[in-house]
Amino acid sequence: MKCRRCKAPAVVALPSHNTGFCPECFLMFFSRQIERTIKSYKLLTPDDRILVAVSGGKDSLALMLELKLLGYNATGLHVDLGIPGSSEQARATVERFCRDRDIELRVVELEHEGLPIPKVKAALTRPICSACGKIKRYYFNKAAIDGGFTVLATGHNLDDEVSRLFANVLRWDTGYLSDQGPLLPAANGFARKIKPLSRVSEFETANYCFLRSIVPHMSACPYSHGASFTAHKALWADLEERMPGQKRSFYEGFLQRGRQAFARLDEEQGTPLNACTSCGYPTSAETCGVCRVRALLG
Amino acid sequence: MVTVRLEPEGEELHLEKATSVMQVLKKLGLKPTQALVIRDQGLLTYDVAVKPGDTLTIRRVTSRG
Repeated sequence: MKCRRCKAPAVVALPSHNTGFCPECFLMFFSRQIERTIKSYKLLTPDDRILVAVSGGKDSLALMLELKLLGYNATGLHVDLGIPGSSEQARATVERFCRDRDIELRVVELEHEGLPIPKVKAALTRPICSACGKIKRYYFNKAAIDGGFTVLATGHNLDDEVSRLFANVLRWDTGYLSDQGPLLPAANGFARKIKPLSRVSEFETANYCFLRSIVPHMSACPYSHGASFTAHKALWADLEERMPGQKRSFYEGFLQRGRQAFARLDEEQGTPLNACTSCGYPTSAETCGVCRVRALLG
Repeated sequence: MVTVRLEPEGEELHLEKATSVMQVLKKLGLKPTQALVIRDQGLLTYDVAVKPGDTLTIRRVTSRG
């Protein structure tokens, strides 16, 4: 296989683009995909102060590095979940990555906040994933608002967005369907949130990390066994193999033609947000999900 | 025989009768966009031939939380 651009031997084959690239041309392609997403959805300006949620996985590390290489003012935020045998390695990966590339990093320790994930898991009767996600998003938002950042960026890639969209459609969750996308404007106490990797697949970010000599934290979360997103990703992998380009088509079609209808429905029927009576975080209930978890832990 | 090292599991397998990257992936139940295939510190596309004595690293790319 030859590189589409320069005809050198290809090292990355992309069936969804019906093409292959050599190392240099792939890095250029990847960078252009990010720039195109930023421009198409007006995600960033050069004046933005960006807080990047960095878990230590390939996607968030790729995002962090690419934003720096594109010249943006970006700071990393790592939330240490306090999971023994997992969180220490993830945090070490992030700290080493940022130190080696001279990137400012802030760390929130859930142990210090009284919400280490193992303790939360023990107190809940339902799977931990939803609560863990809620807690992480709470602290991402808090760090962005408290730190005066103009935007919060996460490393959600095309595969993440497609499996999430698919899950939201399966449940017909009109609330989530009303605002899923690469950009969530600031509103009601929430920082502006962006997903610059939403056009690139996790295969592409994995190749990017290899070619940029990024060593991500690769172990799965020890609590992720049986999580629905892995089943959804497997279904989509089968479909994408049979019909390359379907993931992008599904996601972009939703953004262009589907989301507005759910946004209108949510405007008519959705529950308005108010400030949590405990902490002031935006919520549709009297107290927010994180404060309810905190109350459960006593 | 081709030696295959799986990441992140850390397992090592030996495959007989594999003459291409695609064949190796198929024997492992993987699609070409589900794993990086690495030989001698370089990436391989699915159409590349493999030969007896080769050692490949197969690095799964699907995030699992």
